[in-house]
Amino acid sequence: MINWIVLLPFLSSLFMAIVYLGNTKVKRYAFYTAVGVGTPLAMTIMSLMLAIEVINGSGTIHGTLIQWIHIGDFDISIAFMADRLSVVMISFITFIGTLIHIYAAGYMKDDEGYGKFFVYFNLFMGSMLLLVLADNPIIMFVGWELVGLCSYLLIGFYHKDPANIKAANKAFMLNRVGDFGFIMGISLLFVSFGGGGFTFEAIADNISIVSPEMLTLIGLLLFVGAMGKSAQIPLYVWLPDAMAGPTPVSALIHAATMVTAGVYMVARYSFIYVEIPDVGLFIASIGAASALFAAIIACYQSDIKKILAYSTMSQLGYMFMAVGLGAYSSGIFHVFTHAFFKALLFMGAGAVIVALHHEQNIFKMGGLKKPLKLVYITMFIATLAISGIPPFAGFFSKDAILVTAFASEHYVIWGIGTLTAGLTAFYMFRMLFTVFHSPAKEEQHVQIVPKSMTWPLVILAFGSATAGFLGVNAAYGGSAWINHFLALPDLELHLSHATEYMLGGLNVILGLLGMGLAYKLFAQNAKEPEEDSLWRRLVINKFYIDEIYEFLIVKPLLLLSYFIAKVIDPKIFDGFINLNVWIYRTSAMLFAKLQNGKVRYYALYILVSVSAISYYMLVKLGVM
Amino acid sequence: MTPNMFFLLASILFSIGLVGLVSRKNLFVLYMSIELMLSSVSLILATLSKVLGEASGSVMALLMIGVIASEAAVFLAMIINLYRANRTVDSDTFNKLREGVYND
Amino acid sequence: MIVGSFAMISNRQTVFSAFGFLVAMIGLAGIFALLNSQFLAIAQIMVSVGAVVVFSMLTILTVNAKEENLPHEPNKTKWILFTSLLVAPFTLLLYKVLATLPNEFVQLETINSKIMGKVLFSEWVLPFEILSILLLSAMVGAIVIARKSKRKERRRS
Repeated sequence: MINWIVLLPFLSSLFMAIVYLGNTKVKRYAFYTAVGVGTPLAMTIMSLMLAIEVINGSGTIHGTLIQWIHIGDFDISIAFMADRLSVVMISFITFIGTLIHIYAAGYMKDDEGYGKFFVYFNLFMGSMLLLVLADNPIIMFVGWELVGLCSYLLIGFYHKDPANIKAANKAFMLNRVGDFGFIMGISLLFVSFGGGGFTFEAIADNISIVSPEMLTLIGLLLFVGAMGKSAQIPLYVWLPDAMAGPTPVSALIHAATMVTAGVYMVARYSFIYVEIPDVGLFIASIGAASALFAAIIACYQSDIKKILAYSTMSQLGYMFMAVGLGAYSSGIFHVFTHAFFKALLFMGAGAVIVALHHEQNIFKMGGLKKPLKLVYITMFIATLAISGIPPFAGFFSKDAILVTAFASEHYVIWGIGTLTAGLTAFYMFRMLFTVFHSPAKEEQHVQIVPKSMTWPLVILAFGSATAGFLGVNAAYGGSAWINHFLALPDLELHLSHATEYMLGGLNVILGLLGMGLAYKLFAQNAKEPEEDSLWRRLVINKFYIDEIYEFLIVKPLLLLSYFIAKVIDPKIFDGFINLNVWIYRTSAMLFAKLQNGKVRYYALYILVSVSAISYYMLVKLGVM
Repeated sequence: MTPNMFFLLASILFSIGLVGLVSRKNLFVLYMSIELMLSSVSLILATLSKVLGEASGSVMALLMIGVIASEAAVFLAMIINLYRANRTVDSDTFNKLREGVYND
Repeated sequence: MIVGSFAMISNRQTVFSAFGFLVAMIGLAGIFALLNSQFLAIAQIMVSVGAVVVFSMLTILTVNAKEENLPHEPNKTKWILFTSLLVAPFTLLLYKVLATLPNEFVQLETINSKIMGKVLFSEWVLPFEILSILLLSAMVGAIVIARKSKRKERRRS
C-alpha cells in the first residue's frame, strides 16, 4: 500500500494531463474536480491507515517499487520507508493537502487553466510524498527536485504576465543554488560509504565510518540545500516573489509543505547532525537571524500575501533553531502546527482577496468583520495560534523551541527567538486589525465567497486550536506524546518546572503586548507606512537585498553571457572555422593553377619527381 | 678512350635534350631535343656493343636510326598541321587538356 | 657535339637551333666512327643529316615565321638553369649506373658492314621487317596528316 500512496498522485496527474492536452479549451469542471480532489482524499485515507499501523507498533513499513540501478555492489531502488517521522509528515501533508485542494476548486473555478492547475497540484503532492517517504537519499533528492519543479510550474501559473515568470525563474534558480550544495553533500556521503547499501537505515547504522571532518562538511552542504528550499538567509529572496502564484499554491507549497522539506531533511539526517553540534549551532543561528530579519520586514509590508510570506520565513527560522540545537521532535512538531495555522491564514487571505475582487493591499481593505464573519473568526484563531497564545497550537510548539534554546544555554538565540515572538504577534495582529477592524477607506463591494472555500477554513481552525495538544510538555501536565513517538535523537534537557513556567509566561506576555500595540495603532485607523525616515525606507524596501543580489550576481552573469555570445562565439569559434575554410579554398586554387593544360609543365613535374628520386638514390642509398 | 667517356658524353647529351624539352616553347626545338635524346641512346648502344664484343648493340643502333627517320616524318607533318590550325608554333597555346577554369 | 647541342636548345631563332642540331648530329657520326663502327657512322650521316636538311627546308619554307611571330619565351634562361639543376642528379645517376659496366673495350676491331649484315639478318630479322613496316606507315601517315587539313579547310569554306 505504501507504494500506492506515492504512485496514485503521479498517475492521476498524468491522466488529467492527457485529458487536458486533448483539448485545452473545454472546461471539464466536474471531471477535474473529481479526479483532482478525489486523489488527495484517497491519499489521506491511506496515510491515516498507514499511520495507525505504525502507531500500533508494527515498526517501520517498507515498500519497494522497482530496482532502479544495480551495478555490482551499487544498488539503488525506488523504495519507500514509512517510519514514525514519515508517518507524522504524511498525515498532515495529505490532510491539509486535501483541504487545500477543495479550497482550490472554489478559488480557481473561473480560471481557464483549471485542468492544468490540478495536473500540477497533484504532481506536487506526489513529489512531496516521494520526498518524505523516500528510503534512500537519492530518491529523496528526486522528490526534492520535483517539488522545486512543481513550485516553478505553479508560481508561474498565470503565465501571461511576465513578472510572474520572472518570479518563477527566481524561485527555481535559487532552489538550484541550494540543490548544488545538496548534491555535493549526498555525493560526499555516498563516496564515504563506498556504495553498498545506501538506504537511510544502513547509513544510520554505519555512520561511524565517516570521519568527523567529513561529517561536518556533509552536514553543512546538506544545509545549503535546505537554505534554498526553506527560504533562509541568504537564499530566501524567492519566497516573497513566489506570492505571484495563485493563493492555493501559496497555501500548500509555500506555507505548509515544500518549505518545510528543509526541516524534514535535517530531522531525517539527524543521525549525522547529532555528531556535529557545531554545524547545528550554525543552523540554529541562521534560523534565528532569518526569523528576526523576516519579522522586522513583515512589520512594514502592505501586501497581505507578502506579510504572510515573511511570516512563513520567520516561522521556518524557528524550526531551524529547534533542529539546529538538537531538538528534532520540537522542530517537527512546530512544522506540524505551523502547517495548520499558516495554511488557514493563507486561505483566509485568499478568501479576502477574492471577496474584494483581487485587491491585495491591506490598507485598501477594512471593516470586513461583518461581511466576512466566518473568515474573520477563523483567521482570528489562526493569528492567536501563531502569536503563541495558549491554549492554541502555536504556543506549545514555539514554547518547546524556546525552552530548548534557554536550557542549552544559547541565550542569544533564546533572546532573538523571544523578541521575534513579540514581533510576530505585533505584525500578525496588525494585519488582522487593518483588514477586518479599521474602517474602510472607500465604499467596497464585497463579493460572496463560495462555500468550498470557507469550509476548509473551519476545519483548519479546529486543527489550529487543538493540534498543540499532541506535544504538550511535561511541565504543563502533558506527556509530550509527539516527542516520544518520534523517537528522534533529541537533546536531553533538564529544566525545572518553575523556569519553564517563567519562560512560557514571558512568551504569553510578549504576545499579548504585541496584540495590544497593534490594536492601538491599527484597529481604529490604519495608515500605510511611508518612507519618511531612513530606518523606514530601509525596512520597507526589504533592506535592498534584492537590489544587492541583482548588482553583485545577476548583472555580472548577464555581462559574461553577453560577452561570450557576442564576442567569443562569433570571433573565436566561427573565426576558427572560417579560417579552416579559407585555408582549403586557397590551397585548392593554388593547386588548380598547376594543371594548366600545357604539356611542357607536365613534363616538368615528371622531371621534378625523377630528380628527387635520383637525388635520393645518389645520396641516401650510397650510390655516390 | 675508355667507355666511361662515351657514357659520360651520352649522359650529358641526354640531359641537354631533357632540358631543352622542358624549357622551350618552340615546337621545332622541342622536336630536336627529342631527337637528341634518341641519339644519345643510340650512342650508348653502340658503345655497349663494343664493350661486350657483340654486334647486337650496333644493330640496335642502326634500327634506332630508322626509327628516328620515321618519327621525323610524322612529327613534322603534325607541326605543319598544327601551324595551319593555329598559325603559331608556341606549344603553350595547346592547353585543351586543362579542366574548366576555376578562378584565373 | 656538346657545343652544338647546347646551341640548339638555347637559341631563340629556329634556324639557328637547326644548325646547332646539324652540328650535333655530325659530331655523333664522328663518335660512331671513333667506335670503329663505320657502317653506323655512314648511316648516321645519311639519315640524320638528311633529315636535318629536310628539316631546315621545312622550317624556312613552310612556317616562314617572322621574327615577331616566334613564341615569346620570357624566362628562357631561368627555365634552362632551373631545369638543368633538376636534371643534374638524374644525369649523375645515369652515369654512375652505366659506369658499373666493365671499363674496357673487349675488341677494338672494326664492326664493318659484313659483320653487321650477318647479325642483322640472322638475329635481328624480325625487328628489321617491322622497322620497314614502321617506316612505310610513318610515311603514309605523314602524308595523310599533312593533307587532311586541306580537306577540312575546304569543308569549312
